[in-house]
Amino acid sequence: MIFCKDIYKEYQIGKVTKPVLKGVDFKINPTDRIGLLGRNGAGKSTLIRLIGGVEYPTSGKIVRKMTCSWPLGFSGGFQGSLTGYDNARFIARIYDKPYSEMRAFVEDFTELGINLHMPVKQYSSGMRARLAFALSLAIEFQCYLIDEVIMVGDENFRKKCQKQFFEERKDRALLLASHSLPTVRQYCNRAIVLHKGQAMMYEDVNEAISVYQDL
Amino acid sequence: MIRELVTRFGRDNIGFLWIMVEPLLFAALVGFVWTFIRGVDKDGISVIAFVATGYIPLTFLRHSFGRSAKIFQTNSALLYHRQVKVLDFIVVRVSIEAIGAMGAYMFAGIVLYFFGHFPIPSDVGAIVLGWAIYCFFVTSICTVLAPLSEMSEVVEKLVPISVYLSIPFSGVFNMASWLPPAMREALMWSPLVSGMELMRSGLFGPLVTPYYDLPKAFGVSIVCLVIGLVLCRKLRREIALS
Repeated sequence: MIFCKDIYKEYQIGKVTKPVLKGVDFKINPTDRIGLLGRNGAGKSTLIRLIGGVEYPTSGKIVRKMTCSWPLGFSGGFQGSLTGYDNARFIARIYDKPYSEMRAFVEDFTELGINLHMPVKQYSSGMRARLAFALSLAIEFQCYLIDEVIMVGDENFRKKCQKQFFEERKDRALLLASHSLPTVRQYCNRAIVLHKGQAMMYEDVNEAISVYQDL
Repeated sequence: MIRELVTRFGRDNIGFLWIMVEPLLFAALVGFVWTFIRGVDKDGISVIAFVATGYIPLTFLRHSFGRSAKIFQTNSALLYHRQVKVLDFIVVRVSIEAIGAMGAYMFAGIVLYFFGHFPIPSDVGAIVLGWAIYCFFVTSICTVLAPLSEMSEVVEKLVPISVYLSIPFSGVFNMASWLPPAMREALMWSPLVSGMELMRSGLFGPLVTPYYDLPKAFGVSIVCLVIGLVLCRKLRREIALS
């Protein structure tokens, strides 16, 4: 379970204070697949970063009762100047996983071959997404935080993600920020609509999607 | 985990040896110039050895300060992993610099010894203690500088200047015993001076009269460290990653 209790988040930009989240309250159950909907700038990524512990809320509390991945997105989590293998080794170490297993899984899942010897900053966003997913799947988190990123992959990658997340890891929780309504409709059992700093949880995904479309 | 990070940063520092070579070169040059100006020996101490022992710790200080500016921004990608704490960045960078500087110190000592410009250390314990104080103080200053450089552009630009300002307070090119007593008293508030004096007394033994004040050195360092930790904590809560 992950509880978000009355989360407020403000950003200080020069002298202007910009409130992004104004009292967000919800919980993630162990097998929830939650879609996170909202317009650009509604605070989806912010919320995911807060839950992932990358940033801290201005006030409110996040209680994590299960292991939780770092936010999987286009950026972050990698050291750009290092190669794919070096990043894998680093992640294996800080999350206490044997590197040999990690390496085998990453090679198999990413299919990046020789590219893994190149610095990550030279990767395309699709390649980065592959690496990020491979690393986080190798660690076996109980909850995965995904920011947009499935959408950038090619068909083969999407199939692989689908197999890993929705067949082999049915028992894990997932928080998926996305603008792709078909993805959310297909995979999620609940959905959150973020609007004006408030989060509304809908048990029915279709209802959430129609609310989102009316925004 | 800190060790992991060290190896990690060690990998992208292919020219790790440069950390050692740079201060060596400078120390040698300055040493030669001073030799011409003032003659080879001063109170039986080789000028080259004196400059080398002063300059190498100063390089360590300069690099550590310089590298702690914007340290969070450059490493922000790593904060995606909750295990990684902001303090790790500082500790890692300072330790890399410290290892490099100590390596240079030893290397310089060995080389200069063969040229007859370096004495055999009379008290290794004092040298180690001196280094320890020096490193401790530099680390605590870095914990203050790092968050400040992030909060204000001005501080970031001032960091290099602050290094030069610190030279007179660091005992690099002079011994406290050469100074008038009042000034010496004041300098005792600088842990850098205490550290340096200890190193030199350990090295040159009875040839120099060291002045150091351990309680003050530790006191000042700890105060800085506490301020630094508070600032780091505050910054961690406010840091925004793109």
